[in-house]
Amino acid sequence: MLVIRPLQENDLDDLYTMAQNAGKGLTTLPADRELLEKKISHARETFNQRCAPEAGLYLFALEDTQRKKAVGISGIQARVGLDEVFYNYRLSVAVNASKELGVHVRTPTLHLSNDMTDTSEICSLLLSDEYKGGGNGLLLSRCRFMYLDDFHKHFSEKVFAEMRGVSDGQGRSPLWDALGAKFFDMEFSEADMLSGLGNKSFIAELMPKYPIYLPMLPDSARAVISRVHGNTAPALRMLQAEGFNFNGLVDIFDGGPVVEAFVHNIRTIRESINRHAMVIRKSVNLDVPADERVMVSNRSFRDFRVTTLPMHCIGPDTVSLPPEVADALQVESGDPVRLAPLKESGMLTKHIYRSSVPGGASKWQS
Amino acid sequence: MWLVRPAQPDDLDQILAIAGTQSARLSSTLPKQSDALAYKIEHSLASFAGKISTEDDPPRFLFVLENTGTGEIVGTAGIDARAGNGQPFYNYRRDALIHASHELGVSRRVEVLYPSHSLTDNTLLCSFSIRPELRESDAFELLSRARILFIADHREWFTQRVTVEIQGVQLDSGSVPFWDSLGRHFFDMDFETADQYSGQLSKTFIAELMPPNPIYVTLLSEAAQEALGQPHPMTVPNFELLQREGFQPGCYLDIFDAGPVLEARTDSLRTLVTSHPKSLHAANRDLGETCLIAAGERDQFRCTLTPVSETLEDTLKVPVNTWKVLNKTAGDRVRIAPL
Repeated sequence: MLVIRPLQENDLDDLYTMAQNAGKGLTTLPADRELLEKKISHARETFNQRCAPEAGLYLFALEDTQRKKAVGISGIQARVGLDEVFYNYRLSVAVNASKELGVHVRTPTLHLSNDMTDTSEICSLLLSDEYKGGGNGLLLSRCRFMYLDDFHKHFSEKVFAEMRGVSDGQGRSPLWDALGAKFFDMEFSEADMLSGLGNKSFIAELMPKYPIYLPMLPDSARAVISRVHGNTAPALRMLQAEGFNFNGLVDIFDGGPVVEAFVHNIRTIRESINRHAMVIRKSVNLDVPADERVMVSNRSFRDFRVTTLPMHCIGPDTVSLPPEVADALQVESGDPVRLAPLKESGMLTKHIYRSSVPGGASKWQS
Repeated sequence: MWLVRPAQPDDLDQILAIAGTQSARLSSTLPKQSDALAYKIEHSLASFAGKISTEDDPPRFLFVLENTGTGEIVGTAGIDARAGNGQPFYNYRRDALIHASHELGVSRRVEVLYPSHSLTDNTLLCSFSIRPELRESDAFELLSRARILFIADHREWFTQRVTVEIQGVQLDSGSVPFWDSLGRHFFDMDFETADQYSGQLSKTFIAELMPPNPIYVTLLSEAAQEALGQPHPMTVPNFELLQREGFQPGCYLDIFDAGPVLEARTDSLRTLVTSHPKSLHAANRDLGETCLIAAGERDQFRCTLTPVSETLEDTLKVPVNTWKVLNKTAGDRVRIAPL
């Protein structure tokens, strides 16, 4: 069974292997043992509420319970830009117009901004290749939205994600080559690596502060602004299905887009429902296709756990949990749990309409 | 003989002919349209007469170089008492920033062009044009330096500092690398078209459509970067003459072609320092060192080249021919400067 749970100290080896296999481009999780160890301990302190809420780093592991191995990771940073400065470029348009000259020219312009400061970021998503498919990536990503809503006091109203921008097979970024490299004598891959090691704001401080008029950049660089890397396109589509939209900000290095959504508008949250757990003796075939499964979370701040189970387990007031699922979630009969669709098929909605009784306890979350 | 004198309405057609032979140049303040030029001459005459003193349309003086033998006009030169003529006068200021990080142990010099109005209201030498065949001649020097002699005799009309814009790099094809790398993006028109508008409207009008933010030099094309502060080869004689006069290229560039902008302290100009007022007397012989000689106040101003046979104290002996060209007679005050 695959279960989401808070990242733990003994996940370090698994995490390191995953980071090594991921290669370049994953700036938030470089293959650096010391740094990963620090991140884990930061996450531990966050879940145990031993650090200030705004400094929180929530890292979740996807564990294969049979192999007792972490096979994926995803995270939420409670607030960005408080400790160090968080930079983006805002893509805006300046119009140069003169009736006398018959001129009306639009000039797309990049303005350096710190607009995302104090906003929660979903980050650090990584899944082992052998576990890709079957809705595992969706679980890893979407479980975070249930957490964001259940503990919304710890997060901002808006949440965003930085999407990886375009780079080629050699790790060269057309935007970096046309802009960043002119100010900072370094290859993109190296700058990217330094960013992951926590030097991003230092590098940002070496970057141009004045607006950049895009017509002055080569076509190759202009073409990649607000575009995602091919490997990131599925992640972008997933977030778009959740209601995330490009907010006009791009990464200052590779031009990758920032997408954002208000937490209460995220589809997973809107379509989630609360039930009480009912542990049953009967065994349930858990091995059903992803679009027939739902996510179920134990709603615990300290020991947040999420797994999936077949949709038919949902009753009007309760959800039936076979013992191994209850075990994995660490819940007993009567404990509150939260359910949300794993895929955007709308099946849960239909199911709920069918099974809800008038005046019943089923409640829509808002 | 060569004579520099205020432009007159009758000179209009000949001046137009000179303006027409000039290649495109946004910084030129010599209009190519008959109406605009007629107004400029009229305004210049009023300025010479001392009738112009308003702040929103300050004095502008236009001189012509005349071949007194033929009556032909072969060059023009101007002074704007206040650069910008009551409007902002645009330049780029070439400056540098150090982008440094202590944490990363790196430091880098970043060149930036800042839009600037700093030279607004300085006295501006402008509208200089001369027949190509005269570019290496004494007449060339006469035309340029006559303006300084005029300033010397009318010092109160001009400011502490004098500015001159030198035409920047333009390729034989007519394209201007700096414009192509910068201005063109904001106008969607080539240099020549923008230049035509500049002549019809004003340089400030076009300049106000340029991007308001500073420009990073490193983002310009290589050709544009190489053109920064470089004079057009055709202007090199003028550039060198002005440098001898005491003008220095500073940190300012033309905003359209990135040509150099020269500056000098008015009271330090060589012609101003080395020229002296004298009283006019006759020389017997047509011999001696050739000098610049200027005479006449305001709209009577005239300047020419003359052999000087003798200067003693306050007395200057020059041929009577020179008197005639200057419209002066014995005992009149003149100003003389070595060539």
